[in-house]
Amino acid sequence: MAYPYVSDREVRLLSTYFGDPKQRHIETYVKRGGYSALEKALGMGPDDVVEIVKSSGLRGRGGAGFPTGVKWSFMPKEKKKAHYLLCNADESEPGTFKDRELMRWDPHQLIEGCLIGAHAIRAQHVYIYCRGEFFEANQVLARAVEDAYAKGYIGENILDSGHDIEVTVHQGAGAYICGEETGMMNSLEGRRGEPRIKPPFPAAVGAFGKPSTINNVETLCAIPHIVKNGGEWYRQWGTEKSPGTKLFCVSGHVIKPGNYELPLGFPLIELIEDVCGGMKDGNALKAVIPGGSSVPLINAEEARACKLDYEGCVDVGTMLGCASVIVMDETTDIVKQVRRMVDFYAHESCGLCTPCREGTTWTAQILRRIENGKGTEDDLDTLMEMTQNMVGTTICVLSDSVAAPVQSSIEKFRDEYLALIRRGERVGAA
Amino acid sequence: MSDVPFKNPGWAGNTGEFDLTEEEVRGDDFVGTRPLHGGHASGAGTMPFMLPETNPDAKLFEGEYQERFDKILTRYPDKQAALLPTLALTQELRGYVSAASMDRVAELLGLSPAYVRGVTTFYTMYNKRPVGRHLVQVCTNISCSLCGADDVVEAFLRYTDTELGETSEDGNFTVIEAECLAACGFPTCVQINSRYYENVTPSEVPKIVEHLKAQTDGDS
Amino acid sequence: MPVTLTIDGQEVTVPKGTTILEAAKTIGQQVPHYCYHPGMSSPAMCRLCLVEVEGAPKPMPSCVTTVMDGQVVHTQSEEATASRKAVLEFYLVNHPLDCPICDMSGECSLQDYVHEEGRDSGRSREPKRVFGRDDFGGDVLFYGDRCVMCTRCVRFMSEVEQDTRLTVVDRGNRSVIDTFFEEGLDGTNWHGNIVDICPVGALVSKDFLHKARAWDLEHTPSICTSCSQGCNIDLHTRDNLVQRLKPRENLDVNGWWMCDHGRENYEWINQGTRIEAPLVRDGNGGSKAVDWKEVLGALLEQANGAGAVKAVASPLASNEDLGALKALVEALGGGETVYRSARAEEEIVLKGFPSLARRKDLSANTTGAELMGLERAGADDATGGLADVAGHDGVLVVLGDALEDQPADFGKNAALYVFLGSHESEASANASFVLPVTTFAEQEGTFTNVAGRVQRFWPGLQAPGMARPPWLILGALVAELTEADLPRTAADAFAALASAVPAFSGLTYDDIGTRGALVNEPVQLSGD
Repeated sequence: MAYPYVSDREVRLLSTYFGDPKQRHIETYVKRGGYSALEKALGMGPDDVVEIVKSSGLRGRGGAGFPTGVKWSFMPKEKKKAHYLLCNADESEPGTFKDRELMRWDPHQLIEGCLIGAHAIRAQHVYIYCRGEFFEANQVLARAVEDAYAKGYIGENILDSGHDIEVTVHQGAGAYICGEETGMMNSLEGRRGEPRIKPPFPAAVGAFGKPSTINNVETLCAIPHIVKNGGEWYRQWGTEKSPGTKLFCVSGHVIKPGNYELPLGFPLIELIEDVCGGMKDGNALKAVIPGGSSVPLINAEEARACKLDYEGCVDVGTMLGCASVIVMDETTDIVKQVRRMVDFYAHESCGLCTPCREGTTWTAQILRRIENGKGTEDDLDTLMEMTQNMVGTTICVLSDSVAAPVQSSIEKFRDEYLALIRRGERVGAA
Repeated sequence: MSDVPFKNPGWAGNTGEFDLTEEEVRGDDFVGTRPLHGGHASGAGTMPFMLPETNPDAKLFEGEYQERFDKILTRYPDKQAALLPTLALTQELRGYVSAASMDRVAELLGLSPAYVRGVTTFYTMYNKRPVGRHLVQVCTNISCSLCGADDVVEAFLRYTDTELGETSEDGNFTVIEAECLAACGFPTCVQINSRYYENVTPSEVPKIVEHLKAQTDGDS
Repeated sequence: MPVTLTIDGQEVTVPKGTTILEAAKTIGQQVPHYCYHPGMSSPAMCRLCLVEVEGAPKPMPSCVTTVMDGQVVHTQSEEATASRKAVLEFYLVNHPLDCPICDMSGECSLQDYVHEEGRDSGRSREPKRVFGRDDFGGDVLFYGDRCVMCTRCVRFMSEVEQDTRLTVVDRGNRSVIDTFFEEGLDGTNWHGNIVDICPVGALVSKDFLHKARAWDLEHTPSICTSCSQGCNIDLHTRDNLVQRLKPRENLDVNGWWMCDHGRENYEWINQGTRIEAPLVRDGNGGSKAVDWKEVLGALLEQANGAGAVKAVASPLASNEDLGALKALVEALGGGETVYRSARAEEEIVLKGFPSLARRKDLSANTTGAELMGLERAGADDATGGLADVAGHDGVLVVLGDALEDQPADFGKNAALYVFLGSHESEASANASFVLPVTTFAEQEGTFTNVAGRVQRFWPGLQAPGMARPPWLILGALVAELTEADLPRTAADAFAALASAVPAFSGLTYDDIGTRGALVNEPVQLSGD
């Protein structure tokens, strides 16, 4: 049940109750077995919880795919200072819209995951950093947290376990870069949301200078299920290296866009043609971005070969990212869409590192000029080389994200650029 | 909040395979019900409203807003961390964050005004100048753009009779392009004040504009 | 614990925790950088100090990457230089390239780095971003278009001065440095330093605006005279005029900084209407300029049996000058010497570098004067306190104090009134001998600062006419009156002082060098 559409190919763990308005109510959530994983976790030592998560092979769903259990194990075992868990709900990667659904349909699932995570890393306070634009999700979440406090799932001596955990819903204010973990910590501290240099890593010096861990909403939502059923259970889906299910956010030119929860390793082409009902208006597939705008786009041929897991995407020269599948049909003006993505990065660059601050805008300027028929073939060489200079030369990877769509589109759709440059012809201009 | 007299704009229900009312999709029993004093402190920093009517001279803070501000302060290890929620509160009351507001917030939190300006200007959600009663933010990022967002922007500009980024003469509308609103499966997504309008097509724009006009004309 | 690594093929051993950038400095390798400054935190955001570290997946910012045992670093390899070349191109995308009208030209890091490592030509054809010029108040003008966004200025204000007046406004490509709207920097005491640390021409001094080109300036190491802190400075001079003062790094005294009060206080050095030749007055209103030999001869003749001595000295006079004065007073039979010095009510401490303050005592060498037994006289605005001296009937010697507050009959009763100064005043009119002396900017010497640190300064300007350093004039007189040798250099004069005053014994110019050396006894200024 992947609101607003349904497919029988799905494996619904996290999205079971999408489209069920009753699930927001704590009574319903508890009646359906909610918070039992929390009870189980609180009865275990923190390190045992970490072990379960490690054994599940769960990888971070925010884009980088780092194993969650391993990340948790970096936290100091002895609690000399306060520890913090930050839930990254600042969903803003173009093409991604899963966290908002997770929060608005099943807020307690997230809260339970946060509490278990906090217990595992010995944190006494969880900040759910929720994207500012999500007024609705924010309010659903705030109410759910309030309800959980009232029922004793959050606060002092949770479920008589002797553990105290606070949860605060923190609202962002409009900055993509706050989805980067160190940018988020700065933003939470009331600073400009500029990323920090690592080391020190958050597990040593994180939010408020204390050991911290940052996990994505979807990652934390998977935790209660894993704790309840065990790591092996979770591994029945997905692949050896990418176990479990994943929410795929499909947007663009498909008949039924939406969030579909599928086992990792699912073939991309089946996702488009079967699960999503095929291409809109019967048009042919032209390109796909499988992981949000920060990953290289692939052409139709590569899409047919692509398996949707962390390794499968790398095999066709792209990345799974946060599994935001943007589908483009033959009418798509690639140059315009790439320019639009680059505009986004130029708008969202924090401005700290020079290659990114100057490079994002410069790239957008060149692309706009090409789009307006004033480009030259040299511009393509400049774009290729200059965006390469933005890779690996900055603190965070926002700058690298510009190179992905630009370079991949020039490599794969050079003809479209050349048509604009030589004749001012634009695809889909009619 | 659920007084939209027509189907679809504002929610994604009727595009899918669910038999849900708009209220059920939005969660109207949760959304828009938060008290002005902020409720439990854990959620006091979440902004309940982006209001059509604001008062640029409203006091920072008094009454229930003071209560909310005090609750926010209890949730962080230091005052500086309360800066973002405090700015949000300021904007909720005053409609935008003016220099005077920054100065006052700095005073409340023991920060320098310049520092507060630096932070305020980093984030796009703080309006640095007054905007219309309805701030219309049309997502034109890739997924919406693929599905015709540019035409939606144009329609909004036409029906609100305004230029991009400017406020209409009657003070009702400011239309801007927004970056991805994370509703890519429901293109085109338009955020108007606190609310997402999803699956918006150019033909629905006049209905939305009329509805919003009626809302504010009725209020005043 | 020391760490040994290899940088550019050379083995380097440095303390644990040292950054690669600092380690490279020890072998003379300057890695280009903007945002890094040793006196502040390192945001590693300029991305220019990238170097190749073997085994690292990408070039590393050397300003925050600390050394590890066995590490192999290449600062000049193809990867390292290519990274920096790539980054430098981005700096020029929006830079106005207005070097011909930029004050920073000639000492600009952007010019230097691009010249050394940048591309031959830029590839950007797009219109440039324009911010224009902004008056930050105080002495600072901001040229937004030249800014490289290193945020050194923002960090100086927040971390070192600890007055968060500056901030980065907006984000991304639209980021710009600004204050809180019109608030500006007025009222802060250290903001001149942000001009110094700006690696490009974004922050410039209004006082220096379009005054001189960097390559026309000569730099002379010196000591700030505006208070007893003794900040190490450079005199930047052209056409025999001081154009500006700049702090000179000395971690024991002022770090990299100096206060605005000191920085702005240099016009007096350039003041014209100097006394250019020795004058002998006949007592009836007549005076004539004579040469040094004649004037000293006449002076010695009159000094014989002229009575007890009273002297007034300026605490802006060097240790050598004061030592020579002390020797002369003794040679003439002994007497009392006083000094007058302005005092502020409060210290102004630089919070992020608290050993540096604009001190209460507003003269460079008050400590030196006290160590030599001079007595403080007068009020806190350096006036008055000379009633005894003004009517003295024996030998009266005035060194450096212009006596501007004193009446026209000052020294009228003196049997012998010798005035050594650079400017005449009403109160010098009765002097029978007016001897032109150099200022600190025109001579070599030392001052002793509030902490008892003896620090050398060097001549940056040519003295006018026949003006000579006081130690030379006084030393010549002492040599005539006693067995003492004639001091031929400032070092000789200092040696004479060191043998006469215990606090300075054992110290030599070589020991003091450019960093200074402490006197032998703990010092405390009267009134502190």
